[in-house]
Amino acid sequence: MSIEVRNVAKQFDGFTALHDVSLKVEPGELLALLGPSGSGKTTLLRIIAGLDFPTGGRVFFNGEDAGHRHVGARGVGFVFQHYALFRHMTVLDNVAFGLRVKPRQQRLPRAEIVERAMRLLQLVQLDAFAKRYPGQLSGGQRQRVALARALAIEPRVLLLDEPFGALDAKVRKELRRWLRRLHDEMQLTSVFVTHDQEEALELADRVVVMSNGRIEQIGSPTEIYDRPASSFVYEFLGDVNKLPVTVESREAIVWSRRFPVGDDMPEEGVASAYVRPEDVEVSATAQPGSVPAAVSHISALGPIVRLELDLEGQGQPIEAELTRRRWHELDIKRGQHVWLSTNRARIFIDQPR
Amino acid sequence: MAQTIQPTETGFRRPTEESSLARFLIIGLTALFLLTFLVLPLVVVFTEALGQGLSAYLAAFADEDAQAAIRLTLLVAAIAVPANLVFGVAAAWAIAKFEFKGKSVLLTLIDLPFSISPVISGLVFVLLFGAEGWLGPFLQAHNIEIIFALPGIVLATIFVTFPFIARELIPLMMEQGTEDEEAALSLGASGWQTFWRITLPNIRWGLLYGVLLCNARAMGEFGAVSVVSGHIRGLTNTMPLHVEILYNEYNLVAAFAVASLLALLALVTLLIKTVLEVRYGDELAASVRRH
Repeated sequence: MSIEVRNVAKQFDGFTALHDVSLKVEPGELLALLGPSGSGKTTLLRIIAGLDFPTGGRVFFNGEDAGHRHVGARGVGFVFQHYALFRHMTVLDNVAFGLRVKPRQQRLPRAEIVERAMRLLQLVQLDAFAKRYPGQLSGGQRQRVALARALAIEPRVLLLDEPFGALDAKVRKELRRWLRRLHDEMQLTSVFVTHDQEEALELADRVVVMSNGRIEQIGSPTEIYDRPASSFVYEFLGDVNKLPVTVESREAIVWSRRFPVGDDMPEEGVASAYVRPEDVEVSATAQPGSVPAAVSHISALGPIVRLELDLEGQGQPIEAELTRRRWHELDIKRGQHVWLSTNRARIFIDQPR
Repeated sequence: MAQTIQPTETGFRRPTEESSLARFLIIGLTALFLLTFLVLPLVVVFTEALGQGLSAYLAAFADEDAQAAIRLTLLVAAIAVPANLVFGVAAAWAIAKFEFKGKSVLLTLIDLPFSISPVISGLVFVLLFGAEGWLGPFLQAHNIEIIFALPGIVLATIFVTFPFIARELIPLMMEQGTEDEEAALSLGASGWQTFWRITLPNIRWGLLYGVLLCNARAMGEFGAVSVVSGHIRGLTNTMPLHVEILYNEYNLVAAFAVASLLALLALVTLLIKTVLEVRYGDELAASVRRH
């Protein structure tokens, strides 16, 4: 099942949630819509589901215009952020709901419905909880019931709105892996919304980064992380040092090294250089193309050690990440003077936001 | 001013906990108030009603006019409550689940019967349907009786009681949002199935509570009904009106006997409500919080 979103726009009174968004989801793909709140990602997901309608543009399922089709007729499984489980029904009844509301001709016999619901509960490892009510389950269990319920109607497409948003970190990680497996096993086409870049990068085949109702970039997790298309994507995907630089004859100098600017940028002007903390090289002695700095803070939490460094003549501290081993080698202490350099920096012209 | 802080055994006291004197005063005041204004009148009603023995009490109900009044009251409630049930659900649904212009105006209008005197509510219908009213000549020409007849009483009762169910449901439905309905629809349920299987069960306890309140008021309404009824004995007298007539005739035992029936109704309502709260406490919690 492929999904195509063509020039979709959505306006609420006086507010544009989506500007002319186009996107294709390939069959069997697991796609993430990633963006901060208010970026329009949930609106886009709801439009794909048929829970909201676009004010412009179209949505195609397998090349067929789905615009006139009601949410119930689209064959989508929708998983809500807050689960939306029916609180007055048992877990089993929740999962069986989609099978029981079918028109009589299409409805399975009662016993078969129960059997199928139970199979789905086994799949989400909750068959022991069939007789419980949603109120008696934990967040992670509820989310699994919601998934089983959505899968009961054998959807061709699974849409998930911040599926792990309300769960604690450990459960979230487990469920993520489990969802990936489920997606592959059931050969679904899935789209999920998240504001958590780690989740998007870990789980998805492709990531769609959105901001202010527009798509900033579409690409595989590696592409997105290594070659961000805009300063927004750079900043949104992980930590970044943003340094003010001046562009002269298509080059900018970052820490005494020259970096070329992209073709689409003006020759001269004020710009920002983006350097990821892991791309900041720290050394104890002066190297060619390095600048002196003082260590103002060290946090050695886990395998990665984070340093905060003060550069002369620069207001904002620079963040650097070292492996624990490198940190021991350098034997860095707070207040010590070190040398910084980088060979990876991206220059973006400052855009008014 | 120095406050006396009385330490508990551990030497600590929660900041929100008052001193025992303040606590005693507040609880005492509340209890005294309830005793004076609720318990005492209730006791008076039953003592007066049973003051001359059970046979005198029962005799009050043997009276044909009393029986007619009871029948009329039941009939009026039987029409008004279902009407308001439908209206209340529709209004709450509209307000909680849709966005439209004039929503706040509608909300204010629903509250109107709470804020105007019942007598005025009755008068409005007299001015509208009465012999001298706007539609009076038309109704007379077609031989339709509204004022001083059952339709007028029903109309006035519906008007006075329509906020009860809607008011009970609006906050409940707003709090619940539309996610459950959306989930049901995405699973292939029709609008009708969604209403019966999802929306209605979600609001059932709030709805039942609203119906109880609405019913109690529909049977007990005096002011508005008094204006439109015309006090025709055995014909347009409801129980509260009958009580007043009996009382004005110094027929105290009969007056209090009928009144005791109304009081009993209130007590039963309260009892059902309490039983519901105990049995379905969790599910009711959402709606009880607001009372």
